[in-house]
Amino acid sequence: MMALDLSQNKHADVSYEEKERLFEEVKADERWHHVLYGCFECGICVASCPSARFYDFSPRVIAQAVSREDTDLIYTLMSDSIWDCSQCFSCDRCPRQNSPGQIITIMREVAVKNGLQTAKKALEGYGRIIYKIMSTGSQVSPDMLQPDAFPDWGTHVYEIAENLEEWRKALPPETLHTTETGWKIDKKTIIELYLIWHMTGVMDLIEGIDEGLFMILVDVMEERLEEAGYDDVTFD
Amino acid sequence: MIHLPITKASERHFKIDPNDAPVKDLREELFQLEKEGELEVIRVPDNHVELMTKYGRKKKIPIDKTWHHKSCGQCGHIPGYSTSIFWLNRQFGLDYYDPTDQTSCTAWNYYASATSNPEAQAAVAVRNFAAAHEVGYFPLIHCGTSFGHYKEVRHALVHQHDLRRKVKKIMERLGKKLVLPEEVVHYSEWVLAMKDRIAERQVIDMSNITATVHPACHYHKLIEEDAIYDSEIYGAQRTAIVTGTLQALGINVGDYSTWFDCCGFGFRHILVSRDFSRSFSVQRKIEVMKEEVNPDVTVTHDTGCVTTLDQSQFAGRAHNRKVGIPVMADSQMAALAMGAHPYKVLQLHWHNTDNKPFLRKLGIDVEKVWSEFQAEVDKIKSGEKKFMTWEDADK
Amino acid sequence: MANENILIIGGGPTGLEAAKGIAELGYKVILAEKRDKMGGTPVSAGYAALTPDMRDAGDAMQEMCDAIENNPDVKIMLNTEITGTSGEPGNFMVKAKSNGNEVDIEAGAVIIATGFTHFDPGRETQKYGYYEHDDVITIVDAEKLLKSGTFVRPSTGEKPNRVAFIQCVGSRDRQIGNEYCSKVCCGITSKQAIEVRELLPGCKVFIFYIDMRMYGYWENEIYWPAQEKHKVNYIKGMGTEIIKKGDGLIVKGEDTTMRRPMEIPMDMVILAVGMEPSEGTKQVADIFGVNKNKFGFIETTGGALNTVSTNVDGVFAAGACTGPSDLEDCISAAGSAAMKAISTIRKVSIPV
Repeated sequence: MMALDLSQNKHADVSYEEKERLFEEVKADERWHHVLYGCFECGICVASCPSARFYDFSPRVIAQAVSREDTDLIYTLMSDSIWDCSQCFSCDRCPRQNSPGQIITIMREVAVKNGLQTAKKALEGYGRIIYKIMSTGSQVSPDMLQPDAFPDWGTHVYEIAENLEEWRKALPPETLHTTETGWKIDKKTIIELYLIWHMTGVMDLIEGIDEGLFMILVDVMEERLEEAGYDDVTFD
Repeated sequence: MIHLPITKASERHFKIDPNDAPVKDLREELFQLEKEGELEVIRVPDNHVELMTKYGRKKKIPIDKTWHHKSCGQCGHIPGYSTSIFWLNRQFGLDYYDPTDQTSCTAWNYYASATSNPEAQAAVAVRNFAAAHEVGYFPLIHCGTSFGHYKEVRHALVHQHDLRRKVKKIMERLGKKLVLPEEVVHYSEWVLAMKDRIAERQVIDMSNITATVHPACHYHKLIEEDAIYDSEIYGAQRTAIVTGTLQALGINVGDYSTWFDCCGFGFRHILVSRDFSRSFSVQRKIEVMKEEVNPDVTVTHDTGCVTTLDQSQFAGRAHNRKVGIPVMADSQMAALAMGAHPYKVLQLHWHNTDNKPFLRKLGIDVEKVWSEFQAEVDKIKSGEKKFMTWEDADK
Repeated sequence: MANENILIIGGGPTGLEAAKGIAELGYKVILAEKRDKMGGTPVSAGYAALTPDMRDAGDAMQEMCDAIENNPDVKIMLNTEITGTSGEPGNFMVKAKSNGNEVDIEAGAVIIATGFTHFDPGRETQKYGYYEHDDVITIVDAEKLLKSGTFVRPSTGEKPNRVAFIQCVGSRDRQIGNEYCSKVCCGITSKQAIEVRELLPGCKVFIFYIDMRMYGYWENEIYWPAQEKHKVNYIKGMGTEIIKKGDGLIVKGEDTTMRRPMEIPMDMVILAVGMEPSEGTKQVADIFGVNKNKFGFIETTGGALNTVSTNVDGVFAAGACTGPSDLEDCISAAGSAAMKAISTIRKVSIPV
């Protein structure tokens, strides 16, 4: 477990202007005024936080850093700390009504949008999940239950993987007779999802994180969109 | 014993006055926006039950005409969870809808990776709500993550008119209306509302069972005012969800010192930083439950929680930790109590931690019921049957 | 000609002090009290010792009551609740229900001294389990225990070895809506901590706080002795949960000095519940058309320079009904209200 280095010299390679720009982007979020008020360092957020017990992570330090507008510290946290958060929102107990969890969500979105190296690193190994959710609208599918994907879940996963086809057919609900997605999703529904990704710029975020993944996804999506009659929808 | 001039906990009664509620009823603003033509509200169907929420507001829980918003993790990895919810509806002859015009809420990805933004998340939510409304049903949310997320989205759409404007435009492109449900209802609230009817039809005695309850963080910590509370349960100091259901089934619910703790799911962590999830759930939840209560089963009401608590115990065992508590969802427990087949309906073979001792304690012949399920699977393997049907499941 | 009676609503420390002062200046007082005895909250809640001077609360309140009992210029009306009013400064016609009977009270000026009530810990944002655990009590409960001389764990009746106080319960919280600081709880807690340490020298006492607020002489009269003489442990970090473990309790919090989550076993936890406007304060304010602030306390109109005038001429408010107050505030405000009430009558009586 690495100790969180909060010294001024961390990330000296990034310009102060760049750090400031990123913080301004965080503050410009429409949600900002509802997620950060002031902080009197009561520690309730830390006390209720699961990540604080495992990582050198402190929602209080994050709330203090943004309250103080300490640009260097904020950049350090945005790089090295925010991905430890478990997004459980136990910290919403804050008496000042801050939400360190949501402050982190916004900081993560800015990190992803700006393609920060540390964001890419944190999401390494997560690519196939992004692929699944973006292309099928279903995050984890039956066919992802493979032993090499979940070795620490034990020998049980072998049994599931071996019997997957039949076991999925041995499910009473008709919509669950699938292996590539959690349930049967209409083609039309997937197209609507692609249009949402298109209109909200989500694919740009993916491009910034993993260009290779972006290209594979875009191929699949544009092909299906074309089949459905949406040849004008492209993701470049 | 000395007579003390102060009360003990059993003599203290917490009175909730809805007029003292520190938050406004969101529905007031919701209906106001509807009046102004900003959006349309999906009303809770006539057949509903009212349950009390944290600050005394009564929440409407639909009983039928429910559109089942499925959970990707549930349907993907623990399909018996979803199956049990449908099974319960069918047992009571209720009119429910299992859609194929449904996407995942995509919130798991959002909380894990932030590779999305508020407009996309809100648009996905509204698209699903609109799909429910178009077929005349009311959305019932299967997953705790979806539930928490949809509550947030509904709040944001009511209070941020920029976001609302953007989402309305997207909906127009999709040929859909901007709709929001009157209430965001979690399926476990439906189970709780049905608990007495379920108990009436209970065929398996569970009075020899001790269980621990794990409430999902996104159910009761996110937008707290929406969670169900009950003066008779924990003195309305903690959410009554799941506990109320189990107590109605005659189960002894044991308390433990990490009741409020997260399970350690972490969204991203369970997939990519797994040491956190499995360490946290084993050390902070399972071991504590085992030491302080030693329950026969632990019951929760969310996909991520079932997954984390169940799957993490294997690694715990490999490290000789004191683990070994089977994990089930409240809907599975309710279905089991009503006589649902442990493998054909509950689909317990997808669960990891050994649940056979628990089934045996209930007097179930595990070998017999497993072979009944195997017989169905054989029919599918041989091509005699394409799928197992509801009728097969209840034979 | 103005009516020379001054109606004081509320027989707590504020009302008693105002009554005494007005009578001393030669004017007549009608003192209406809802309960069946005088003394206000210090008496009805059974306070043990006053903060900061540690004087016995019962004795102090008795002294205040004695000063106006059998005073020919003070008419005491117990079991009396105000139901309506009309009139103007110099001539108020107030309706009340006294011992079940409808009565009319004529007064030239009115002083509202209806005080506060203690926050109900069931409404607390954090998970303190007051309604679930015997050994979680409030500072009000603790006063009663200290007054009786038996400070023991409610669950077992045995003396505790480890006692914790948690500050700011029901105050300084945007989610509950009570954003203000209740002013007295840090002092009261520290005082109680000293009393526990004196009563039970073997018992360790902890105070979990966000800030320690003991202004003026409370700093050197209570805070420093608590730490230096009585070895009370002050830990900067709030508790978020109180959980039962085995026979005892655990306080979950963050020790912010050490920058880490902590779980500390305790035999008893005492919640420093804050002040809220009493039912009487809210009702009487509405009856007189007196403005309340967003917390429900009576709003005084002069900022720092006038702590007793309200938006209604001739109607004054003093003490805890205007906001969190300590005893010193109440006594001082009572004097200010008495002075202004008399001034009202004199202005109407003596034409300019």
